[in-house]
Amino acid sequence: MTLRQVAVLGTSAVVLVIAALASVALGSTTIPVRDVLHALPLVGDGRVDGPTDQIVNSLRIPRTVTAILVGAALGVAGALLQGALANPLASPDVVGVTAGSGFGAMIILLAFPGSVTLVPVSALVFGLVATSLVFAVAWAGRGGGSIARLILAGIAVSAVFTAGTTALMTAFPDRVSTAIFFIAGYLSYDGWGTLRGVWFYFAFGLVAAALLIRPLDRLALGDDVAQSLGVRPRAVRLVAAGVAALLAAASAALAGLLGFLGLVVPHAVRLAGGTASHRFVVPTSAVAGAALLLVADTVARRVAAPLDLPVGPFMVVLGVPLFLWLLRKAV
Amino acid sequence: MTDDHAPGPLLEVHGLGVRLGGRDIVTDADLVLRRGELVAVVGPNGAGKSTIVRSAAGLTRPAAGTVLWGGRDVRSVGPRRLARLRAFVPQRPQVPQGVSVEEAVAIGRSSHIGPLSRPGAADRLAVTEALERAAALGLRDRQLTTLSGGELQRVQLAVGLAQGAPALIADEPTSALDLGATATMARLLRSLADDGLGVILVVHDLALASAIADEVVVVEAGRTVATGPPDEVLTSERLARTWRVDAALATDATGRTALHVGWLGEPSAGQDAVPAAPHLPPGPPGASHPPSTEGPPAP
Repeated sequence: MTLRQVAVLGTSAVVLVIAALASVALGSTTIPVRDVLHALPLVGDGRVDGPTDQIVNSLRIPRTVTAILVGAALGVAGALLQGALANPLASPDVVGVTAGSGFGAMIILLAFPGSVTLVPVSALVFGLVATSLVFAVAWAGRGGGSIARLILAGIAVSAVFTAGTTALMTAFPDRVSTAIFFIAGYLSYDGWGTLRGVWFYFAFGLVAAALLIRPLDRLALGDDVAQSLGVRPRAVRLVAAGVAALLAAASAALAGLLGFLGLVVPHAVRLAGGTASHRFVVPTSAVAGAALLLVADTVARRVAAPLDLPVGPFMVVLGVPLFLWLLRKAV
Repeated sequence: MTDDHAPGPLLEVHGLGVRLGGRDIVTDADLVLRRGELVAVVGPNGAGKSTIVRSAAGLTRPAAGTVLWGGRDVRSVGPRRLARLRAFVPQRPQVPQGVSVEEAVAIGRSSHIGPLSRPGAADRLAVTEALERAAALGLRDRQLTTLSGGELQRVQLAVGLAQGAPALIADEPTSALDLGATATMARLLRSLADDGLGVILVVHDLALASAIADEVVVVEAGRTVATGPPDEVLTSERLARTWRVDAALATDATGRTALHVGWLGEPSAGQDAVPAAPHLPPGPPGASHPPSTEGPPAP
């Protein structure tokens, strides 16, 4: 890694650590950083009063960890898809996972509001169902696995699930307001419950992403060169897109639809680092994605406190100016 | 490079057939490549040249016939092992943003690096050596997107060389290049063969092929119809039959080659349209016989 790349990764990491501390310290009540450090699990010495310990460990740390996991997962998902499809416009949206997860959540929120605890499961399952449909169409038959076919299949399948979501909203118009948070992307004080259910998908997805770094680099010069090097480009593409879909579906289960992060963060990382090498882009997208989501969530909680606003719009407001600035500077 | 000193040809292709999109693109192709030999695959557009070499390289599955690398059927050779036996340099490389020349050539070396290990000193040396052999060392810090066509093609060659395979298959590396860049590429490919590599070159420029190839393979309508030394194979009769032009190849005393074409003549004319000994001025003394094409290239 060059000095510039180390600087980009280092800056992202520092922002992430500061944002994590701020995320735990700030909220409807402000906890001094000193007390936060005392209350931290494992490293803290526990010398804080009961309510503070309660707020830090049962409410704010789960939320902070969720933001870090979701931000990292979506950053990585975007980096994997943009690399695998050699397409700068690729994001979790293109493989249908966003539309599928949205539909899955809407079914529960609008049609079965009594079973609201099933939202994460339904978002995860339908996200993966949508992606499976896209893959089945894109990889079947002759010429399967081409980038154009995958993207077109993704658009078509997404349209079907989006239509389903619209149909549900039309059928239950009085309940639509409860779905806004999911669509906008949100984080909440849910504690460890949901996280306990899906952490495995994040762990699996992030480890698989690390193993995909070198195969993806070998795709950079085109399928012919990849094949010359003993890589099966279509297999790499299938696995990378599948891992990205898993990460995005698990993210939707925890935090709703934040697909924008997956599109923008890897680009910003590439522009800032001046390289498309996945050895740099994948880990840095994880750190930068986590940092962006955490900062945005901390802002979202403070802006209209004690009202807790959805994080999605704040992430866009913070992320887009930074992204446009980088875009202007790029040659 | 475990098979580097194995006896026999590097590559043997017998009775190759390839179907693509439900059509028979190649029906009967034979090809043999030995160490230190440069084989030029020539033929009209759409004859199946690229398909034959792609299938020989293991990129396209054969429908019939055999492709043997070091005596072993290509279908039974694993992809990683195949990467050590041959490198394929494609016709139109993908030029990604944000990738430097050195990073690109390092990708070529990646088949030597285990999935979890990092490139070591030997790998960095191999990358530098590949850049040097492809006359691309001066480009190492440039971004791929800033290169000219000729520079890009040399980098592409370096990517193939970094694979460290005893055979190199280049699909029309000179098609989009100007005269000077074409001559540079021709010298490079010839010197690689002289250094002991087996080189297969798909090429349209017959004057170029006749100057640098040890053997020429003519492909016509999905079949290899003639194989042998250039002057025996690329006769006026062959040019008239396969390309439907009235043309003749000529070589002067200094080794310079030319293709004389009766552009507006009847395609059936063949033999006596061109003087047997063209009047070409001799080259500068001591020049290391750079092969150059005179006159317009073959269609």
